[in-house]
This record gives sequence, structure tokens and C-alpha cells, in this order.
Amino acid sequence: MERVAEILRALLGRALSEHGPQAPALADVLIERAQSHLPPQLGVQLSNGYRAWAPLSPADCYAFCESHGTWDLASLRAALLCEGQHMYLEMREDHAVFRRSQRQRREDSIAPGGVDTSLLERLRRQTDGFDEDLIWQRAPGEFPFGAARAVEPRAEGGSETRSETGRRLLQWWAQRREQLVGSFSFLRVAGDVGSKRAQERGLKLLRENLTPLQRQQYEKYGYFDVLGGNTGKRYRIRHGRQMNIDQLDKNGRRVCGWCFFPQGSLVAGDIMLAQKLSLELYEVETLLVANRY
Amino acid sequence: MAVQIVMDRTGDTRHEFDSTDQKALGLAEERFRQLTGKGFRAVALGRDGGSGRLLRKFDREVEQTLFIPQLQGG
Repeated sequence: MERVAEILRALLGRALSEHGPQAPALADVLIERAQSHLPPQLGVQLSNGYRAWAPLSPADCYAFCESHGTWDLASLRAALLCEGQHMYLEMREDHAVFRRSQRQRREDSIAPGGVDTSLLERLRRQTDGFDEDLIWQRAPGEFPFGAARAVEPRAEGGSETRSETGRRLLQWWAQRREQLVGSFSFLRVAGDVGSKRAQERGLKLLRENLTPLQRQQYEKYGYFDVLGGNTGKRYRIRHGRQMNIDQLDKNGRRVCGWCFFPQGSLVAGDIMLAQKLSLELYEVETLLVANRY
Repeated sequence: MAVQIVMDRTGDTRHEFDSTDQKALGLAEERFRQLTGKGFRAVALGRDGGSGRLLRKFDREVEQTLFIPQLQGG
């Protein structure tokens, strides 16, 4: 496949993954000319206005132009749009099939008697078993609604040992239940990481601290360029939380990638701002911590 | 009003204080010490997206201080 078609496929794949099953139709394919230090860009636009961009070099287009006989921008764009629409239709169908199979697998795994029985289900069965074992020591009509209500051992002769065992089992069950509740509240707190509000706050803080040029770049392409404070090297920070920094040479070509981010579960806006400021203010120290790839 | 902005999982937490109030300044300085002691970097934010400057010690003249958690390689 021609390089430009691969780039187009990658862009369409990105658009599909961000929209899921209700992905709108492909409306247009865009080509942006190079501007000052920015390379030419290939973009796709969906019918809801969504746009995704990727850098494009003339060499990427050569084979495509040759095979389609398109030697000017307008005809290249038209040919790419035609190619992109076929590609997008196929990808949407593949994506729908993939999602259906995933849903089916998930349903199979949670179906009664399925192979992959969840931990919760196993726990429930175990503890149900304990409850059944304990029924013998409850007073008639008494049903413990909370595990904290441990059943008092009966004072009748030989049943004391069995009551003691039952009490311990109930205590164990109460502990397990608290642990489970604890795990779920942890999950709820973890779910707040990257909540919509936090993400918006992070992006607002980022936008407030970008230069006008960086802001324009970020709004348009989803990345912005930063000059290293110590070396003057150029870095491109793409929207993301990790593995989102490219070092560029003077011609704007990628030299390598750098991966570093602040500790803690921060949202994307905060992470990109931290990456920008650390490269601008303490680049050498930052690169000592970062991993190059 | 000056403000100290601490990056966290909610986006950020802002602590505003009056830089003419000695008590508020003392609290802000203490917060600065505590956070930098934990490994946060303090940056005096520049205007209009300028890179600002790294603060090694508390500066009462700075309007906006951003605290960035310690960096780690990915």
C-alpha cells in the first residue's frame, strides 16, 4: 500500500476509535501546505466536524500520484477522498464485527456456567455456603440482615463449640464484606481520575499557559512545539499522557521520542503543561529522568 | 491576590492568598516548603504562555506559582 494511503488509514482508524460504533461519515480529506517550520499535513474531516491530522511529506505521495495520475493538489485530494471513503466503509464494517465479537465473548464469559467465573461470583457462592451452615443456630424467625449482628452462642451443652465456629465464620464474612466494600470505593475514587471535569480543568490550565502560536498549533493539530531551555532543541508535545513527545531536527523531522510525565494520576492537560515547562525550564534534568525511544 | 496552583488528580487545586497579609504569606511559604520538600517543582508562571521561571525558594512577589509533581520516565 502507498505510504499516503497508510497515513490515511491510520487517521481513519484514529477517528473510528474515538467515535466508536456511532462514527459519522467521512466528509472530506484535507491537505495543508507547509507553514514556516510546520510540515505539510494530511487531515480527515468527519461529518460532525471532527478532524484528525498527520504530517505528510511529498515523498509519501509520489507512488500514489503515479498510480492515480494525479499531479496537482485538487486532484490528489479528490483521489484520496475517493480512496478514503472505500477504506472507511470497510474499516467501519470490520470495527462493527470486532465489537460484536467482543460483546459476544463478554456475554459468554458472564453467562451462568461460563468458563470465566468472576471472583465476586465465587465469593458469593462461598459465603452463601457459610450462611446455610449457620442456619441451624438462629432462633426461629431470626434472620441476620447485617453480618455485624453475630449470633450469640447458645448455652446448651455440646452446641457451644459449633456456635463458636459459627460466630468466627460470621466475623470472617463481615471482614470480607468490608474488604469488598473498600475495594469498590477504591474503584469509585480511581474512576474520578480523568473525570470530564478534571480533564476540562487540566486543558484550561494548559491553554492559559501556551503561547499564542502554541495554542493555535494545539487547537488545529492536537500538538504544539516547545524549544528546550538548555539546548534549544525542538520538541513536539502531542495530546496524550505518555509517549507523546518527539524530538525534531531543524527540518522538522523526528529524531527520537521521549517519555516522561509527572507522578500521580494527572489528567492529560496537566501532563502536557508539566512536560512543556520542564523542557523549557530544566531540560537537562528532565531528559536525565526521561526514557528515549 | 496571589495564587498557588497544585497539579493533582482533579485537574488542579488553587490556594489564593493576599500577598500583603503576613499571616497568609507565612502559610503560603509553609505550603511552598512542604510541596518542594515532597519533590514538587515550583514554577512562576509567565504571562501569555511564556515559560516563566523555576523557583528555588519562596518569592512573595510572584502572582501565580504552579507546583508540578516530580517527573518519572515512562
